[in-house]
This record gives sequence, structure tokens and C-alpha cells, in this order.
Amino acid sequence: MNEMMRTMAASASGMAAQAARIRLGSENIANADTPGYHRKTVSFEQAFDAARDARAVVTGPVQLDRNELARTYDPTNPLAGKDGYVEGSDVDLLVEIADAREANRSYEANLKMFDQARQMASSLLDLIRR
Amino acid sequence: MDIKATLASQIYSQTRAVAKPVPQDPAQPTAGQAFEAAAGDFLATLRESEATVAAGLAGRADPQAVVEALAATELAVETAVAVRDKVVEAYQEILRMPV
Repeated sequence: MNEMMRTMAASASGMAAQAARIRLGSENIANADTPGYHRKTVSFEQAFDAARDARAVVTGPVQLDRNELARTYDPTNPLAGKDGYVEGSDVDLLVEIADAREANRSYEANLKMFDQARQMASSLLDLIRR
Repeated sequence: MDIKATLASQIYSQTRAVAKPVPQDPAQPTAGQAFEAAAGDFLATLRESEATVAAGLAGRADPQAVVEALAATELAVETAVAVRDKVVEAYQEILRMPV
């Protein structure tokens, strides 16, 4: 396992972490209208991949956001409580879209580093091929 | 130029001492063992990435792992091909040597 391989392993783990993040974001958006839904968040943690001797990033346990649920007054709704309020979800579409955009950018950065390491290793090999 | 037979035999006996094989340090791997280890590493990389790609196509591994395995395979094959080309080139160079 050389440095280039470690670089590529770290970049691949970063891409996998961002993929998990954008999956949670799309789950949140899909459940934006689900009554009583709390948006899911995930934390990133540093990890050591002993099998490949590489430092990597992994996603931590999925946590539920503790924001107040959106409450609308609608006594005719079958889901309404005794006071006539219906609890919706706490998903803010603007936050989710911004999060998805950030995940996209981070994914692209990891992809660039992956490609960079691959090109560096490949151009090193070109030296002995001449 | 006058070459005496005694001088020639003396120089010839000297070459024998120079050409005598040096005993190998048992702790150091020989060139053959080093090649064997490199080939073993190459084979292990290929097998590992083959398993990863198969798992990825079956939907058990994420695409990032598949791409990483394919890139590792590409680099390993490129290295092996480059080294092989160099070895063949050296062999041909020896064959072309005027005798």
C-alpha cells in the first residue's frame, strides 16, 4: 500500500460519506410533508482503516434533529390534537437544498483529489515506459 | 604488441577471483524472491479488486469502492506492464550484443 493508494482510499471514503449525507438529505425532503417527522442529521468521524492502512472518514450514527415541529391550526384534520393543531415535519427545504449543494461540492473536491493521485501515479510510471 | 603466455595466464587467474560468486546474505531477499513478492502483491491486488467489482455489480458494494478498486488494478497492471517491457528490452539488448 503506497501513498497514492492511501490517498485514493481516503478520497473514496470521503465520497462515500458525502453520498450518505446526500441520501439523508433526500430522505428529509421526501418526508417534508410527513406529520411528526424530525429531520435526520449525521456527523462525520475520523477513522483508521487498518486493512488498508489509511486514514479515512466515516459517517457517525444517524441522529434526529430536535427542532420544534411546524404546527398549523386545522381542527378538521383527522391528525389534529385536542387543541386543533396539526404537527407537521421540521424539514426546511432551504436548509436541505443548501446541505445538498455543500455535499455536492465536497464530493467534487474528493473526486478531484482521487483523480489527482491517479494521474500522479500514472505519470510516474510514464517515466520508465519511455 | 608482445603478449607473453605467462602474463596471459596470470591475468586469467585474476579474473576467476573477480568473477567468483559472492555468498548471499541470507537475511537479504534475493532478486528472485523480490520478484516473487511483487508478483504476489500484484495478484492479491487483482483478486481483491475483482471481488470488489463483482460485489459492486451485484449491488453489495458502493460505487466509490468499485472505482477505487478499478483504479488500483489499473495502476498495478500499468506497473507490471512497464516493468515487463523493461525486462524484455534488456534481454533483447543482450541478444543484440556483438559477440
